[in-house]
Amino acid sequence: MRLALRELRRRPNRFAVATVILTLIALLLMFLGGLLDGLEAGSTGALRQQPADAVVYAEGAEASLVRSRLGPDVRDAVAEVVGDDRVGGLGSVQLGGRLDGRGPRDLVPIVLFGYELAPDALPEEPPGPGEVFADEALRQEGIDEGTVIRLGPARSEVRVIGFLDDAQYSGQSSLWGSLETWREVLAANRPGARVGEGTVQALVVQDAPDRQGGDLVEVLDEATGGATDSYTVEGAIDALPGLSQQRTTFNQIIGVTVVIAIVVVALFFALLTVERTGLYGVLKALGASSGTLFAGVVLQAVVVTAVASAVGIAASLALDAAIPAGSLPFTVTPGRLVGSAAALLVAALAGVAFSLRRVLRVDPASAIGGAQ
Amino acid sequence: MSLALREMRRAKARFGLLIAAVALLVFLILTQQAIQDGLVTSFVGAIRQQTAPVLVYSTDGQRTFQGSVIPPPLEEQIRGVEGVGASGRIGQGTFTVSVSGRDGTEDAALIGAEDPALGSVDDLVEGRAPEADGEAIGSRADFAVGDRVRIVPVGVPDAEGPELEVVGLADDAQLQVTPTLFTSWATYEAAALSANPDAAVVLPNVIGLAPADGVTDAELVEAVNAVSDDADALTRAAAADETPGVAQVRQSFQVIFLLYGLVVPLVTGLFFLIVVFQKSAALTLLRAIGASGATLVRSLLVQVVLVVGGGLVLGTALYLPLSQMEVGSIALRFDATAVAVWSALLLGLGLLSALVAARRVLAIDPIEATTGGGGR
Repeated sequence: MRLALRELRRRPNRFAVATVILTLIALLLMFLGGLLDGLEAGSTGALRQQPADAVVYAEGAEASLVRSRLGPDVRDAVAEVVGDDRVGGLGSVQLGGRLDGRGPRDLVPIVLFGYELAPDALPEEPPGPGEVFADEALRQEGIDEGTVIRLGPARSEVRVIGFLDDAQYSGQSSLWGSLETWREVLAANRPGARVGEGTVQALVVQDAPDRQGGDLVEVLDEATGGATDSYTVEGAIDALPGLSQQRTTFNQIIGVTVVIAIVVVALFFALLTVERTGLYGVLKALGASSGTLFAGVVLQAVVVTAVASAVGIAASLALDAAIPAGSLPFTVTPGRLVGSAAALLVAALAGVAFSLRRVLRVDPASAIGGAQ
Repeated sequence: MSLALREMRRAKARFGLLIAAVALLVFLILTQQAIQDGLVTSFVGAIRQQTAPVLVYSTDGQRTFQGSVIPPPLEEQIRGVEGVGASGRIGQGTFTVSVSGRDGTEDAALIGAEDPALGSVDDLVEGRAPEADGEAIGSRADFAVGDRVRIVPVGVPDAEGPELEVVGLADDAQLQVTPTLFTSWATYEAAALSANPDAAVVLPNVIGLAPADGVTDAELVEAVNAVSDDADALTRAAAADETPGVAQVRQSFQVIFLLYGLVVPLVTGLFFLIVVFQKSAALTLLRAIGASGATLVRSLLVQVVLVVGGGLVLGTALYLPLSQMEVGSIALRFDATAVAVWSALLLGLGLLSALVAARRVLAIDPIEATTGGGGR
């Protein structure tokens, strides 16, 4: 083991190119993972903020807020299952936001949500008419408490009274106001999409502690006579159009990249082992076991991978800092970085295992001039 | 040459592993290139295929069909711009639909054009253009001629939406990765009203324009944008390229391609560097018995070409069946140009990366064969 470490210290150049390749692969894994996380976070934040056990859409809406419409009768049916105070309406509209001091064509893409049951980070009572909470991401646009945003072609004014974190939807930052504010803004700016009094796009439902009768989402759909498609929050996220395909595609690409890492490590250490066959013969003749020699190879693979992962993590963090806000949907999370490093380590261990047979086959007799 | 081939035959596992690594990388690069192209086409294919040379969004719409709404005063201003040869309303919405012969409901984007020459599709691969309201052209990946598509008004009890008949098909005509139908304005209007009876009025999302004689598309764009800050005119190509998300998709994939593109030559270069290092004794001996440095370098480069070439062939062979498939609703396509460009690039980079190994070969001193130095 000490021999392996000493070789790494004394002949770092020998491992440099392999480290560079693994660093690039580590960066690829982290970048692909960061893109996936960024895309998901940008699409699902608003749903993840919901204090809900179920999200109810109209039947056939395919979990799309824009296409879903639920009238007061559906709401009443849902309220009968869990109680009226555990049901809240939800509505959304995507608009451009105008800010003072910016050009007439320089708009901020925004989703305005109207709600009744407050998202996790907000006060229980929805804000008053024309008042909204804003997604933290909007601070990058120069929006602060007190900022007035003029929404849509009708320039509907809303004033920001506070912020909440991680509440993006459909790749855009969000504003959160009362259902009345949403209805007014919707009717003024999207006359073709206006909704009647009491109509919402979805219902956010909290389960009643003493409720009996089985799975909430099934019970809700039954109670509305099949007029609704209900989901858990996780289910609603998974049902977002394109999200699961996006996740599968990225994970497949990440999987093949890990396989490439296995092949690269296998190739590199197989070549190193071939080169050292004579040396291993001498060491075996001196009493070193195959296990000890292989442990040395494994240790070198682990060190090379650790260095590559560390540089990959640093490069990912630098990339995250360098990417301008709103350009690439790239998000760095500790879990993703550690997960990518762990995947690379497993790939390295799997790759280096290909050298085991060669180490076992080394004949100590080669040290005294036998065949190598 | 024969030396290079003989060595490869004798060390099949070693060279096979390298060819496999290169093949996997080539496969990944080509697959991701196909995904990128398929994704962009599925996002904005309908915009590229539609017939209006100039599209005018509302500035608030931020260059998306569905986000844009053209109020009547703005529509009047746009239609009155000098240089406009023809103009027509275009409406777009995503609806839940049921298709004859299929179970359940699905999504479909409906694009309604007041004038078929400004917002419909004329490049059909099958069938004919619509001749009456209720007829539509469908994206070929999702529909067949004769399909009957019923709009399902979601959340509107007892309502029934209009039925459309697919009479023609167009390639690469999806919008926002959704099955897409091109129909008349009246049919679109009926669909929109059935889906939302509360709607006060159905306004156009975009105005399609054709320039008057002697006016270019670019001049018309400039003239419209000068009339009102609320109008955002773009040529057809610019409207497709500047749809939100398209540039991000391209940038993301460029970073990915760059990283993969670096890994291929590095892996190849590393492999041959180590191989040359291992063979240094044999190479020194060959030099001592008269083999020139150029011969040995040629032999090395032949191996590089065979390894990278083998990886390219194998990677392309893996990519070929995958390129005929669909990822979700994104249709992939075999892109011969991408294969040719990447092959040339990776082969060039592979040869470049072998230069370090070649330098080592050229640095071998034949005299060391007599001292054993070549084996070090």
